[in-house]
This record gives sequence, structure tokens and C-alpha cells, in this order.
Amino acid sequence: MKKYIMIQRLLISFLAIFSLFWSCKRDVDSLGSPKLSHDPEVFIDGFSSGLNYAAFSNSVVTAFTVDKTNTYNNSTASMKIDVPDLNDPRGAYAGGTYFTSVGRDLSSYNVLSFWAKASKAAEIDVVGFGNDLGLNKYITILNAVKVNTNWQKYYIPIPDASLLKDERGMFFYSEGPENDRGYTLWFDEVKFENLGTLGHLTSGIMESKDVTVSAEIGEKISMSGFQSIINLPNGLNQVVSTSAGFYKFKSSDENVATVDEKGTITVKSQGTALITAQSNGTTSLGSLLVKAISALPQPSSPAPIPDKQSSNVLSLFSNKYTNVPVDTWNTHWQFSTAEESFIKIQNDDVIKYKNLNFVGIELVSQTLNVSTMTHFHIDIWTPDNTDLPKSFKILLVDFGPNNAYGGNDDSSHELSFTKPKLATGQWISFDIPLSNFSGLTRKNNLAQLVLSGDLPNVYIDNVYFYKADTQVPDSPTAAPSVPTYPAADVISIYSDSYTNVANSNLNPNWGQSTRVSELNFNNNRVLKFAGLNYQGIQIGSNQNVSNLGFLHLDFWSSNASNLNVYIISPGPVEKPVSLTVPTTGWSSIDIPLSSFAPVDLSKVMQFKFEGNGDIYIDNIYFRR
Amino acid sequence: MTNKTKFILFGLFAFFLASCKTDNIQELDQKQWNLVWSDEFTANQTNGIDTTKWTHDIGRGNNGWGNQELEYYTDKTENISLDGKGNLTITARKENFAGASFTSSRIKTQGKFSTKYGKIEARIKCPYGPGVWPAFWMLGTNVDQVGWPTCGEIDIMELKGQEPNVIYGSLHGPGYSAGNSITQRYALINNRFDTDFHTFSIEWNQEKVDYFVDNYLYQRIERSQAKGNWVFDQEFYLILNVAIGGTYVGYVNIDTPFPQTMYIDYVRVYQ
Repeated sequence: MKKYIMIQRLLISFLAIFSLFWSCKRDVDSLGSPKLSHDPEVFIDGFSSGLNYAAFSNSVVTAFTVDKTNTYNNSTASMKIDVPDLNDPRGAYAGGTYFTSVGRDLSSYNVLSFWAKASKAAEIDVVGFGNDLGLNKYITILNAVKVNTNWQKYYIPIPDASLLKDERGMFFYSEGPENDRGYTLWFDEVKFENLGTLGHLTSGIMESKDVTVSAEIGEKISMSGFQSIINLPNGLNQVVSTSAGFYKFKSSDENVATVDEKGTITVKSQGTALITAQSNGTTSLGSLLVKAISALPQPSSPAPIPDKQSSNVLSLFSNKYTNVPVDTWNTHWQFSTAEESFIKIQNDDVIKYKNLNFVGIELVSQTLNVSTMTHFHIDIWTPDNTDLPKSFKILLVDFGPNNAYGGNDDSSHELSFTKPKLATGQWISFDIPLSNFSGLTRKNNLAQLVLSGDLPNVYIDNVYFYKADTQVPDSPTAAPSVPTYPAADVISIYSDSYTNVANSNLNPNWGQSTRVSELNFNNNRVLKFAGLNYQGIQIGSNQNVSNLGFLHLDFWSSNASNLNVYIISPGPVEKPVSLTVPTTGWSSIDIPLSSFAPVDLSKVMQFKFEGNGDIYIDNIYFRR
Repeated sequence: MTNKTKFILFGLFAFFLASCKTDNIQELDQKQWNLVWSDEFTANQTNGIDTTKWTHDIGRGNNGWGNQELEYYTDKTENISLDGKGNLTITARKENFAGASFTSSRIKTQGKFSTKYGKIEARIKCPYGPGVWPAFWMLGTNVDQVGWPTCGEIDIMELKGQEPNVIYGSLHGPGYSAGNSITQRYALINNRFDTDFHTFSIEWNQEKVDYFVDNYLYQRIERSQAKGNWVFDQEFYLILNVAIGGTYVGYVNIDTPFPQTMYIDYVRVYQ
């Protein structure tokens, strides 16, 4: 059988050469090297001659199988792709390339066609050809390919077939879950064709638009938006993405900017240069006008390193913190002229905006919950004049519960800053309380940050939200609650609510280093023991509290880690009881007097406080 | 094995032979045609459309020229001009104009030239896209007296832009008009009518109208086929236009590429 096939091949080769003289083909020279196969078939009912498959990295390697049941037009076999569910441990998506180890000459075809269907309506991310696991010089991609449960034919035009004389990338695909769910996809009858029913092949660069960019001398810019457009048999145009390899680029002024074969532009000197391209022998739609300007001043040192604890920070951009995903640092909204670039200043990553009138920064695909944050931080540096009335504006936008733009639940607020907050040629740190963004009524779905103003050149760094350290007051702001026990049930040592035992000494000299003072809140006095090591109170006369139940204390400390209270009877007999410090506001405690045993409760003469920090005390009394 | 090899050999040779012929061989009557009228739209014709030969239809007609068409016909050079390369161009544009969403152009020889019988031919490169409807056709000169379809209509070429590889040739008359017209489609298997020029012609006498694409006869309509009066024994004038949308071609698609141009290399009438 093998031998027969060999003979058949030889015969066909012979006939192919023979046909050079006999066929009606006008362009004999275009047939290319006879060494390379012109085989148009990729997968008809199985792998075509010499075809290999390789799964893409991180994809489900077993996603592709040959299916003999679901085939187009009842043919023998089709290609079946099992797209995984989200979080499939085997891989995040299905994807791979079908390639040959020896190139094929595809120069006599104008399209890769295939039939496809799916187990449900879906959009395949990427289908294309030209992925040879190597340089991928001539890649052509159909994006967002709509498939449904019926077989449909698809066309991927070859942007310039004359270049594909030795091509190894026959077909490739990549598709992830749809709405988190996997599904099954079939391809069949994958082949190159020369179809007269396709027409009007054109090409474009910069998405077929005329784009202007200003660039600094020395900067490198990459051309993009390579596309090929063909009119399908149904009269509608189809746009495919292509690679730079299909284009010949040209600069109108090589002194201003040069462009290499990969579409990389190098800006040489001041002036303007128009970059255009040709593909398939005709001028491509779209262009890039480079306006070269001398290099801008830039910060000589990085922005100050943030000092917030990372646990209190949600960072968008900072080398200090782990950053949340940001969709884009430039949404290129209509009328925005901003151009962003990511630069390093002494190894610190900084974003540089040029021509900034306004720029959108989006976290739409993963909005940020900043409801527990208190501040927004950004560092900016501008070489521009910041004299009044020049301003810099920061707008925050929350998408609301629907987590999407619009829907009457969005909220936003813009703040504007001028001199003296603004300054030229130095890092300016903004720490803006979120409460200042008063229109930002919701903070659970922060989705956009918009920077604007009158500064066309702005470097930014350390963009983050943070929770300020809880402000711990170092002294009480009011006296504790007023006691409510009837005076008859109380023997008071220190309180403005009762008549105190007369002649007590609040600061007897027992050799302590504690500094004693009194604070007065609306005629309600509070004792302060600053820098406590220990501190005594000499009661004006011995008190018999044996018929009472509790010692009451109100105490306050933000910084003590240890505090004991003693009552003392002659002997001296004393016993400490530990109090919980630091306190959150005033602590009020009623200690059972039995806790002080063996102190003689019929002759209580002194108190002693022992510990550290600053202690505030009030309402020292015994009660029934 | 040898038999099969032979078969392959024979098959391939047969293919070569077939591929050298553009069409199957047709036995046609030899006729001597004499050119009686033409517009070659030559490259040096700088004064615009030859007004001794053509006149414009302007506006939207009655109910979109009877078909709920969407275009407004103008005589602006943006819609009709000579391209300086030997072609007349009729260009349909997507633009709001006088209450219409598209502009285009339609010219006719009414009152300037008409013919009864003969060979009528044009060489045309068609426009394309869903809802784009180019046509090369004729109406009986008594249209203003007897109305349509009694006046008769001979459609030498109509194309629906959603099928750029298919043209239609049709006859309309009393009792066989619009959806009931006598019509035939002609499709190119692996080519289209908008990527290169093709000739579209009829050969018309008292017995029949023969329809040709690139000199290939694809339809013969004989007098006896008319389900009503045969109204093609009188003078007819020529019309060229690009319509947009309407009952015949169907909806224009939001993605239909515009502008769309019909290129006419020549129109010739022989007797």
C-alpha cells in the first residue's frame, strides 16, 4: 500500500511539473521551489501529511481529540476541542497549534477555510494560522469567532500569499471558558484554498486609522493594529489581525524617525515623520505620524517610599506593595490625548504621562472594595509650570452594586489641587481622606480613576488606598460617666459626685517617679498619673468598709501594659488586684472587696497603684 | 493498480483540458451586429456625463422608486462621474441627504435614445455588500402613457450585493411582473462580479430575448413564455443605477461597506 502511494505521489509530482507547460496558469514563476509541498489540506479526515500538534502552555493538553461522530457533512473525522470549565486544575483554557516540521508552499492560495460548530453558542477567542512555534513571522488571526450548534464555514484570508513559500504554522486556536463554563468545539475540513468568491483584500496598520503620537528623541515606539480586510462571499467585510511580517514600513523622514521590518520606530531628532506601510504590493490603510520632541526633564530620584503597613493598603501601583490588577493605565477615551509609558527611575517603576489632558485608569474587570480604607495616596512629579490657576485633578468613580458602568448606582467625586499643593520639579505626595471625595457615596466597587488638569507631563507613583492607623488619643476627652449609687451607700475617696473623705493626700511622697496632676472636664476632675511606676493615696482617715461590697474605679490608659491596684491596712497589709490595660475609652470596674483579703477592711488607710504608662483615674469609692 | 493509475492520469488530463476553456461550448447562431449607439466613457471625456445621451433621475421617486428603496438619486459628482480611466462610476454613499440615508445615482437615455430589438451590452464591475443593488436595464418608452408593468421592463443585469457572485436577468410585463417576472440567475462558481469587469448583454428580436454573461448564453425567454401580453415589440430606453435596500435586494446591513461604486466601461447597442 505504501509503495502504491509513493508511486501515486511521484506520478502526481510528475504531472504537476508537466502541467507547468500545459496548464493555463499565467504566472509560472510563482510556483516556487518544487521541494516544498503545496498540500493545501490541514485536517480533512485526519492529520494531513507531516502535520503535528502542540498544546499551548498552561492549556489543557488533552483538549484536542479526533472525533469520528460529530463531523461536517458526515465525513470520517473532525477535530474536537474540549474547552475546560473555569478553575479546571488541568489548565485554564484549550489551545494549541498544528504545524509541520517541513514548510509548505502556500503561495498559490488566498485563504484558510474551515467549518466549525460548538455545543453552545460561543465566541472562540482566537483561530488562525502562522504559529510555527518559532518566529511566528506571518501570523494571521480571526478573533472572537462566533460559533453556534450548526456547522458554518469560516474564512481567514492570507494577507500576502507570496510570502508563504515556506510556512509551517498551519492552524491554531485558543479558547477559554464562556461565562466560566467549558463547552465542546469542533473544527473540520481545515484547508487552504484559492477562492474567487473572496474579494477586495486590503490591509491596515494602526487599525486602519491615522494616528498621531508625540515621542521623545531616543524613544522607541511599536507599530500596532495590523489588520487584513477581505470581503466574504456574503458581501460583508471580515477583519483579521496580522503580524508585522506582512508589511513593508516606510518613514517619510529617516532623519526624524526610522522604522525597522518589525515596525519598531526609533525617534532620532526633532521634527515629524509619517510612518506608512505596504502589504501585498498596495499601500495599507492607516498611518502613524510621529512628532519628535526633545526629551522631557524627569525626576532625578524615585518618589518617597511609602511607610504604610501593607496590611492596611490596597495598592494599584507601587514597588513597595503587591498591586491589585489594573485593566489599563490609559483607556484612550475619546478626546483623551494622553500617552502613557512605564519607566524606571533608579529601579523604581514610575508611570509617565505625556500630553495629559485627561486619562482614564480602569479596574473594571475586577473592581476594588475600598470601603474599609480611609485615604487615597498618589505621588506626582511634573516638569510643568504649576503657577495658579494651573490645576491637577483626581476623580474617583465607583460603579455601585451592579458592578457595571451606568444603572443609576454609580457615584464619583473629583478633587482639584493647585499651588501651593502643586509644585514644579519635585515629588508631591497626596494623602487625601476618602471623606473628601464626598460625592463618592459608595466605595465597594471602585472602578475608575481619572487624572486631568493643566499639567501635560505628569509622572506618577505609589497609587494606593490605605487605612490610616487608628488615631489613638493619648488622653481622655471627657470625664467618665457620673456614678449613680445613692450617697448613703458610698464612701468616696476621689469623686466629684460625692462628698469625699476629708484630708486625703493624692500624692504622698513614697519615693515614686510618677508625676501626678489633675485634669478638669467641666468641673469634673480626673487624676492623672503620668509615667507611672507606683503611686500611693493616703486616705484622710482609716475607713471601715467591712460592711460594703465593692471598690469602684474608673480608669483610662492608651499606653499602659500593666496596672495593679492595692488597698492597704495597717501593718501594712496589702493585696494587689490586676486591672486590664490599655483601655478603650474609660473602663469602669467594681472589684469585690473580698478580692483584697487579707487586708483588714475595717481599717483601710491607703491605696497604691503600680504599673507603667499614663493612667487617668476617677471615681474611687467603696460601695455597698 | 495499473487501471487505477491510468484512470488518475486520464482524470488529470481531462481536468487540464477543461480548465483551459472558460465555458462549455455553445452552438449559437452567427449574427452580424452593427453598432448603432454607444457610450465608451473614454478617458479623455472631460465634460462629465454626455448629456446628449443621458439624463438623470433625481430624488426618491414614488415609494422609493416603487421598491421602498432607501437612496436619494443625485447628479452630484460624488455620486456619478467619469473616472478618467475610461469608466463611468456610479457611487452609492451612506450619508443623510434630503431625508434619505443614502445617496446614489441613476441615469437613463429616455427622450435621447431608444431601441427596438438588437444586441444591448455593457461591461461592468459591480458594487457589493448586503442591500446594494446595481442594475443595467431598460423600460418601454411608453411608460409615461401606459404605466408599469404594461410598458415592459428588460433587466439585463441585476445583482444583490449579499451574493456578489450571482446576477439575474429578467423580463417584466403585464401579468408577469415583480415577484412573478420571468427571471434566471447566473452564478460564478469561484469568482464574483465585483472584483473584475464582466459583459452583460441581451440579444432581442420578435421571438425571444437571449441573456448573456461574458458571451455565455444562460437564459432564453421566448415570446410564448409570457403569461400575459408580449410587450417587447416597441422602443425601450436604457437605465443604469445603484439602488440601496428595498423589496428586491432586501435589507442593507449595518456592516455593509460604503461607499460602493459600479464601474461601467461601455454601453453598446447593435442592430
